[in-house]
Amino acid sequence: MKKICLFILIISVLFSAFFVSCKKEAEEKGGGGELVVWNQAEPQSLDWHLIEGVPEHRIYYSLGEGLVSSDPETAEPVPGVAESWEIDPTGTKITFKLRKTTWSDGVPITAQTFVDSWLRILDPKTAAPYAWFPGDLIKGAGDFMEGTAGPESVGIRAVDDYTFEVTLVGAMPAAVSAMSHYAFAIVPLHKIKENPDSWTMPENYVGNGPFVLDEWKPQEILSVKKNDKYWDKKNVKLDRVVYIPTDDDNVGFNMYLNGEVDWAPEVPLEQLDAVKLRDDYVVAPYLGVYYYIFQVEKPPVNDVRVRKALSMALDRKTLVEKVTAAGETAGYSMVPPMAGYDPTPGIGEDLAKAKQLLAEAGYPDGKGFPKLEILYNTSDRHLKIAEFIQEQWEKNLGIKCELVNQEWKTYLDTRKQGEFMVARAGWIADYPDPSTFLDMFGSGKAMNGGKYSNKEFDELIGKASTMKPGPERFAALRKAEDIFITQDQGVMPIYHYVSQSMIDTTKWGGWYPNAMDWHPTKTIYKK
Amino acid sequence: MTKYIIRRFIGLFPTILVIITISFFIIRAAPGGPFDSEKTLPKQIQENIEKKYHLDEPVIKQYARYMLSIIRGDLGPSYRYKDQDVNYYIAKSIPNSLFLGAISMIIAVVFGITAGMISALRQNTWIDYLSMSVAVIGITIPLFVTGPVLVYFFAMKLNWFPTSGWITGRYGWTTLVLPVITLSFNNFAYIARLTRASILEIMRSDFIRTARAKGLKTSVILFRHVLKGAMLPVVSYLGPAFSAVLTGSVVVETIFRVPGMGKFFIQSALNRDYTLILGTVIVYSVILVIMNFIVDIVYAYLDPRISYK
Amino acid sequence: MIKEKSAVLPVNEFNQPDKGVSLTLDAWRRLKKNHMAMAGLVLVIFFILISVLAPVLPIYSYTEQVIDHQYLPPSLTKNAGQLYYERTLGQMNALAEKEKRDLNQEELAALEQIKYRIANETAVINGKEVKVHERRYLFGTDYLGRDMLARVIYGGQISIAIGFVGTITSVLIGIVLGAIAGYLGGKVDYIIMRIVDVIYGLPYMMLVIIFMAIFGRNIINLFVALAVVSWLTVARVVRGQIMSLKNSEFVEAARSSGASTTRIIFRHLLPNTLGVIIVFSTLRIPTFIMLEAFLSFLGLGISAPLASWGSLVGHAVDGMNLYPWRLFFPAAAMTLFLFGMNFLGDGLRDAFDPQGKNKF
Repeated sequence: MKKICLFILIISVLFSAFFVSCKKEAEEKGGGGELVVWNQAEPQSLDWHLIEGVPEHRIYYSLGEGLVSSDPETAEPVPGVAESWEIDPTGTKITFKLRKTTWSDGVPITAQTFVDSWLRILDPKTAAPYAWFPGDLIKGAGDFMEGTAGPESVGIRAVDDYTFEVTLVGAMPAAVSAMSHYAFAIVPLHKIKENPDSWTMPENYVGNGPFVLDEWKPQEILSVKKNDKYWDKKNVKLDRVVYIPTDDDNVGFNMYLNGEVDWAPEVPLEQLDAVKLRDDYVVAPYLGVYYYIFQVEKPPVNDVRVRKALSMALDRKTLVEKVTAAGETAGYSMVPPMAGYDPTPGIGEDLAKAKQLLAEAGYPDGKGFPKLEILYNTSDRHLKIAEFIQEQWEKNLGIKCELVNQEWKTYLDTRKQGEFMVARAGWIADYPDPSTFLDMFGSGKAMNGGKYSNKEFDELIGKASTMKPGPERFAALRKAEDIFITQDQGVMPIYHYVSQSMIDTTKWGGWYPNAMDWHPTKTIYKK
Repeated sequence: MTKYIIRRFIGLFPTILVIITISFFIIRAAPGGPFDSEKTLPKQIQENIEKKYHLDEPVIKQYARYMLSIIRGDLGPSYRYKDQDVNYYIAKSIPNSLFLGAISMIIAVVFGITAGMISALRQNTWIDYLSMSVAVIGITIPLFVTGPVLVYFFAMKLNWFPTSGWITGRYGWTTLVLPVITLSFNNFAYIARLTRASILEIMRSDFIRTARAKGLKTSVILFRHVLKGAMLPVVSYLGPAFSAVLTGSVVVETIFRVPGMGKFFIQSALNRDYTLILGTVIVYSVILVIMNFIVDIVYAYLDPRISYK
Repeated sequence: MIKEKSAVLPVNEFNQPDKGVSLTLDAWRRLKKNHMAMAGLVLVIFFILISVLAPVLPIYSYTEQVIDHQYLPPSLTKNAGQLYYERTLGQMNALAEKEKRDLNQEELAALEQIKYRIANETAVINGKEVKVHERRYLFGTDYLGRDMLARVIYGGQISIAIGFVGTITSVLIGIVLGAIAGYLGGKVDYIIMRIVDVIYGLPYMMLVIIFMAIFGRNIINLFVALAVVSWLTVARVVRGQIMSLKNSEFVEAARSSGASTTRIIFRHLLPNTLGVIIVFSTLRIPTFIMLEAFLSFLGLGISAPLASWGSLVGHAVDGMNLYPWRLFFPAAAMTLFLFGMNFLGDGLRDAFDPQGKNKF
C-alpha cells in the first residue's frame, strides 16, 4: 500500500513539474513582416477554378492575380496583370493591355494565358463550381460551358501577346469589377500539364500573385512568402502571410485575443458586448441581406396578406439592436443601399395594419392559423433570431410557430425542394450590383426554393440584364424590387449585413474596411 | 486458444466489409449531396461535376468501382478538398490523432486505475470520496466545456500555454498540454469508476476469500489476483474508447486545432464528402475491430476462468 | 426433491432458498447507513420532484422574453429594473471611457428614460398585467432576457427523462445480448459481437441524419436513435463479466442441478454482475445528456425554445467569460444531479452486496 502511495506521489510531482515548466514561450514572431490571419476554413483547393468560398478568396489575394485587382479601400477595380483597359462605345467589348510579367518560375504571361485559362474554367470537363460567372458575362461562354458549342464560340481573343479582348453578352456595367474575382483567374497551364494532380503542392506551386506558396499542412497552416517575380514587388511590404484555418468562431477569436493571429475576420456573437469597447474592432456596411423566404405555394403563406402581416409584425429595430447587435441596419428591402441605387422602402412595420391584414386573410387574432414552421440551419445566430421572431409573431399576432432546425446540407436540400413554410436565408453580393440580389427569384430559377413567380418581375429582370449601365437600368431593377417586395412580399427582408473584423489598425496599415469585405494582402504593411 | 485467435482474426475481414458496405449506402441516402451549396449550381455544371466523380452512375456501379479501388489501396478523391486524394489527407492526419490519443489514453489508464484502486481499498473514506468526486466531475462535464474552460484560464488568463495549435507549429510542445488533459480527464474518470466497482466486485468472490484464508499477503492478493480479474470491465471499455481516442476526438481537435482525423470524421459527414467519410470510416473500423480483437485476447490472459472452445 | 425446490424458489448464489423481501429490507437498512448514498438519494429525489412539479412551481415561463433584460446577472437582492439600469449604465460608462469623455446628453437622456420606464412600464404576461421590471432572476437571464432558473428547471425535465429512458433501454438491450453472448459463447457470441463491431464502426452521425430524414423528428425517434447505438458498450462489459463467471462453482452447481439456461443467466449470473452494471449505468446517464445536446445540433434533438441541460451548456460556452452564470447554473445543476446518481449507484451496489464488508 505504501508503495502505491509513493508511486502516485511521484507521478503527481512529475506531472505538476511538467505543468509549471510549460510556460508559454515569449512571443517570437518572425520579423516585422509577417501577418497571421485566422482564415475561417481549410481551403478546398488552390486551383482557382475549383474554389467557391471566402477563405479561398482570401488566399487568392496573395497567390493569384487576374486582369484587375481590387482597391483595398473601395473594392473598385485597379490594374492587375492588365495595365489599362478600354471599353468600346457600345459597352460590350473590353480591350485589355497587358503588362509584361511572368509566373513565379519566369514563364511569361501573355494574352494566350488568359484565353487558355478562361477556357479551362468554362470547360465542362473542369466542372468548375463558379464557371457560371464568366458563363453569364462573356458572349458564347454559356454555350461552351453547357457543352452546346465549342471553345471557338467564346468571346475572348488574344489580339497579340499583350492585348486581350473580351466580348460581353451585353453592356455589363459590373464586368471589369467582376474580373477581379477568382472565377477570372489565370492558372499556370504549363505546370498543370507537368503535374496534373499535385501542381498545387508547395514544391510544385507556381503563381503570379504578390506571394508564392511556402508551406501547406492541411487543417494546420498555409503560409505564403514574397514573390520575387511579381511585377509590383517593391510595393509588397509583407514578407510572409500565414493563414490558420479553424471554423470555430471562439477558437479563432481566442487566438486573436491572445495575440496568436493579427487579423480575425469575424467576431462571435456572444462577445460583442466586450468587443464593442475595443479599438481594434472594425465594423463596416457589407453588401448582404438576411431574410426569411416564404414558400409561396404553401398555405398559409401562399396568401400575400399573411406574408405582409408577418413582415409588418416584426420589430426589426429591436432585433438588430439587441440580438444581432453589431450595428446591422433594419432591412425592408432585398437590395442593401448601394451607390446610385435607391432600394424599395418596402411596407415597413405597422402592428395595427398587420392584425387587420391577418384578419382579412381569415385569421383574426391568429385564430385558426396553422402552426407556422420556421426552418433554419444550425448556428447560434440563426437560432437566436428565430427564437426572437417566434416570440414576436406569437405576441403580436397570436400565431404559434415551430422552429425546425436542420444541419446545413439537409437544410439546403429542404429549402431547394421547397419543403418549408418560412426559411431563413442570407445573400452576399458576388459583385456590387442590385441584380445579384434579384436575379435568383426569377420563375423556375434553381435557387428559387420559395417558388416565387411573377411575369412582370421576370420581364423587368430580363430587360435590365441587357441594358446599359445608368439610372434607367437601375430604375428597371427598382421597379422589379418594388413588385417583389412591396407588392408581393416574396421574401421578408430582416436586416442588412455589416462586416466585422478585429485588426489593430494602429499596427497594420493598408487594410481598410469596405463594402465587399475584400482585403488584398498586397497593400498591407506593418507600421 | 490458438484456433480461437485464428478464427477471430479471419472474422475481422467480413466485419470490416459489412461496415464499409452499409456506410457506403447510408451516406448516399442522407439528404443533400457533396456539391450542394447556398448558391445552387446551374444544372449543366452540376451534371458536369457529377460526371467527373461518376456520381451519375447507378449506385451499384459506384459501389463496385469504389470496392475495386479500395482493393488497390486507393480511397479515391475527396469531393471537398480537391487538390489531394483521401489517402493523402488520412496519411497526414492520422499520425497526429494517434499521437495525441496514445498519450492521453496512457495517462488516463495509469491515473484511472491507480485512483480506482485506492478508492476501492479505502472504500468510504475521504480519499475514496475525493477521487470519486473528481471522477464524477470528469464524467459529468462535457469535453466542449472542459476544453474552453482550460483555455480560458490557462491560455487567456494565466498565459501559460497557447490557446490552440499543434506541436509542429510555432508554439511547439506547449500546445500538447491542454488537449491531453482535456482528452484524458473524461477517460480517466470512466476508468477510475469502473476499476473501483470491479475491484469491489472481485474482492467478494470465493477465490479471493480462499486466498485470504490461506494467509497470503495483501499486496500479493491485490496484484496477483484482484487486479487481474478486476481489469475485465475496464478492458472491455478500453477497446472502443481507445479506438475513439486514437482516431481523434472531434471536440478536442476543434477546440485545440489539432490537425487530426477526428475533424474529418464529422466535417466530412456534414459536407457529404462521401469518399472522405468512407476513408475515415475504414480507418476507424479497422482500428476498432483490431482493438476489440486484442481486448478479447487480453481477456483470456487476464482471466484463466474464461475458456475458449 | 432438491432439484424441484431450486427450480421453483429464488436462490442466492450459494443455491440456498432466498427470501426476497428480507434481502430488499436488508439492502435498504444498509443503504440508510451509507451517508453519501443517502445524500445522493435525496438529491436525485429533489431533482425529480422539481422537474415533475415545474408547471406548478412559482417560476416564470421559460419562453417569456423580456428583451430589455438580456444578459442580466443572477441576484438575490436586486430586481430586474435595477440590474437593467446598472448594465446599461456600465455599458455607457465603458464606452465613454473608451472615447475619453463623460456621458453625453443623449446618453443621460436615455438613462432618464430607462429610469422612467423601470418605474412605470407594465407588460401583459400570462394574461396578467405586471410591472415587468420588478421581476427577479435568481439565476440571471439569457441572450433574449429569459429567466435562467425556469430554463434550467425545464431543461432538467428533458435531460433527466432522456438520461433515464436512454440508460434503461440501452442497459436492458445490452444486458440481454451481452449475457447471451457471454454465456452461450461459440457461434452466438461470435455473431452478436460482430454485430456490435459493425454498429460501432458505422458513422453514427449519418445514421442519425438519415433516421431524421426518413422518420421525421419527434421525441420517440430521438429515444430510438439513442437506444440503437448505445447498448454496445454495455453488451461488451456484461459479456466480459459473464464469461469470467460462467465456469465458477455456483454456476456449475446450478447447471448440474438442471437449471435452464435462461434461469442460470438471469438468476445466477446477472445478479453477480449487478455491481458493475449499476455503476456502468450511472456512468451512461451523462453520456445520454450530452448525446442529446449533440443531436440537437444535428436537428434531431429537442427544438428551440425548449431547452435541455446539454443545449443550455452548449450555448453558454461561447460567452462564458462575459456571462458565466449562463454556463454555471445548468452545468452545476447537471453535475449535482449526476453526483447524486453516482453516489446512489455506489450505495445501491454496496447495499445489494450480500457479503458486505469488503475491506482488507
